[in-house]
Amino acid sequence: MTRLALEEVTFWYPATRAPALREVSLEVAAGEIVALVGKVGAGASTLLLVAADLAPRVTGGRLAGAVRRRARSGIVLPTPWTQLSGMAFTVWDEVAFGPANLGWPGHEIARHVDHALERLEIVSLAARDPITLSGGELQRVIVAGLLAMDPDLVLLDEPTAELDPAGARSMWRLLRLLAGEGKAIVVATSELDAVPDVADRVVWLEAGAVRAIGTPQLLAEDAACDDGLGTTVARIWRAAGLAPPYPLTVADAVQRWP
Amino acid sequence: MRALHPFTLLAVAAALPALAWILPAPAGGLATAGIAFCLLGSRGLRRGLWPALVAAAPFWLFLLLLHDVRTTLAIGLRISTMVASFVWLAAVLAPDRLVEATVARGWSITAAYLFAATLSAVPMLRARARRIVEAQRCRGLSPRGSVANRLRALRALALPLVLSALHEVDERTLALEARGLVPGARRTPLAPPPDRVVERVVRWGLLLLCLAALVRRVA
Amino acid sequence: MAVSATLRLDGVGFSYGAEAALRDVSFEVAAGERVALLGRNGAGKTTLVRLVAGLLHPDAGTVWVGGWDTGERAPEELARRVGSLFQHADQQLFARTVREDVGFGPRALGFPVHEVRRRTEEALDALALHAHAEQHPYDLPPALRKLAALAGALALEPMVLVLDEPTGGLDRGLRAHVADALREHAERGAALLVVTHDLAFAAETLDRGIVLDGGRLACDEPLAPLLGSAERLKPLGLVPPTVAALSVALDLSGRPVRERDAAHALARVAGGGPGL
Repeated sequence: MTRLALEEVTFWYPATRAPALREVSLEVAAGEIVALVGKVGAGASTLLLVAADLAPRVTGGRLAGAVRRRARSGIVLPTPWTQLSGMAFTVWDEVAFGPANLGWPGHEIARHVDHALERLEIVSLAARDPITLSGGELQRVIVAGLLAMDPDLVLLDEPTAELDPAGARSMWRLLRLLAGEGKAIVVATSELDAVPDVADRVVWLEAGAVRAIGTPQLLAEDAACDDGLGTTVARIWRAAGLAPPYPLTVADAVQRWP
Repeated sequence: MRALHPFTLLAVAAALPALAWILPAPAGGLATAGIAFCLLGSRGLRRGLWPALVAAAPFWLFLLLLHDVRTTLAIGLRISTMVASFVWLAAVLAPDRLVEATVARGWSITAAYLFAATLSAVPMLRARARRIVEAQRCRGLSPRGSVANRLRALRALALPLVLSALHEVDERTLALEARGLVPGARRTPLAPPPDRVVERVVRWGLLLLCLAALVRRVA
Repeated sequence: MAVSATLRLDGVGFSYGAEAALRDVSFEVAAGERVALLGRNGAGKTTLVRLVAGLLHPDAGTVWVGGWDTGERAPEELARRVGSLFQHADQQLFARTVREDVGFGPRALGFPVHEVRRRTEEALDALALHAHAEQHPYDLPPALRKLAALAGALALEPMVLVLDEPTGGLDRGLRAHVADALREHAERGAALLVVTHDLAFAAETLDRGIVLDGGRLACDEPLAPLLGSAERLKPLGLVPPTVAALSVALDLSGRPVRERDAAHALARVAGGGPGL
């Protein structure tokens, strides 16, 4: 079941001549994780804003092409500290901010908030004041705030940027879990080594356009390696002068190794 | 004080300046300023009294330059009441409780949020200014020393303070939209602050008091 | 006579109210040394950065920067010796263009115009920011804003660079620019202390690892062997970077942690010629 479909979408921010997205077409199905990769400024963040119906509705600008959503979407933006509601003195209330705005009954809100806190492993922070949290704690709180709204389409922009390595691993595991429950997930990330274990498909963006769409195996191809988008293992394999196809992950490499 | 219903806090903060202007000077102003500063005193010297005194001082200076002592005293006390009431309100009124209270009264969430955000703008700007000044000092700009130095530092702060605040409004708008803060949303009050009968009586009492004072003044 | 360290912490402790953030932390960083400051979220790393920059003063012990007690100096005075990058890059950018912003520090410190210009251009060069030099900092994506703030710290040409997560959200090309710039400053004698969760970046760029855990110094040793040991990293909230994991999994000789070294080791075993 398709949750999101972009057809030939081109998008211009206000007062700019060059489009930030060029003729992007993409479909995302329920239960699927799509990773957006590319250089800084390639258009991944803009694509997420369009998918979330924030661009151009809130950002302004102009959109050509068609966007179809068959789901309620939720988005996590890259800087966690500008996403706090400013209206909550505890983490629990902060996470409840979104669900309350949806007008759900109180017991439903409580159930979803408690569940989201558990999933992000931040139950112990529930009574803390959000402004006293560290960057990594804050990032978890913001993601919890999104999940508590129970969206069918989850959009994430660099969700592990503030997390320590163990925290990042938990985040990726959580995304797989959510996909298993039928959520459609689109995630922009510069953490390429995590992509093969997490994503079903990879969208390679370049200067606002789709350069390629494929399985994560894309990140082991010569073209991707040339552009700095190969996984570490693929790059090492290639640099060592070994024959393609290159392994994607450490596990692949072990299998390949005599 | 924070346990009081937000509307009660608003009523007190509105009634004091109103009475200061309605009641005859200087006794009326002295009484209201006295009450306002007593309320502030309960917040402590640094967080309560000090900011209010600093904010009120320039008004007294200008008044003294422009008027005689009598007028200065009359207007100065009224302005001090206004300043002290506002500083007190900003210190005791929790924006989340205000949002809850207004939403419980049937306001739309966007209107409630805007109202609460206006009141919490001052402390947020102050925190932002502090972080910018810290970063500027770490790059060698001294906010201390001669008057010229201080002015230079103030000028260096003003523009980034405004620009960064505006910029953050852009990002925050996106985030709030994404979290369901959209026009027409009917928010579920999470924990609407209890509104006791005593407090309702006090609020009506304050309103009647202001009206009575006004009628007496006009008559 | 021992050469005095560029950065030295002597039994440093700091608390926010009743909550201790750092306890009895001592270490030294010499000129030219490249040190990673690691640890899980909330381990006290950000507090330590603010102490070195002079924005906080220790409750116990002393932070020395080349013989200056940071507790007795204002941050603007320390700016002559310490360049810092904090978490919120947005609040470290003050000017109308990136170029003007990078020159903010040297100008504030009173350097002559030609010196301000030299430092600004060098810092822009080092981080490949020339293409964005005339843009308003807020018009850049968040990752590039951080890079602009880093350029501002580099332009101070300080003896100590203390950086909080300089690579978050950067692509591989930009990360390489940051790595090169940091190496160059270290070669010129700067002491580097870099807080990072990006252990791959740390492995490529830095040599020594200091790990904080619950506000205490958990270890202080050469980075490469530490990053290769999953058992030791795990209780500290850390995970070996991919190269280190690959070296262990394939039993590469010397257990390299940098891509280039791993490729060489792999090529030797496979008998092929390295393509580097």
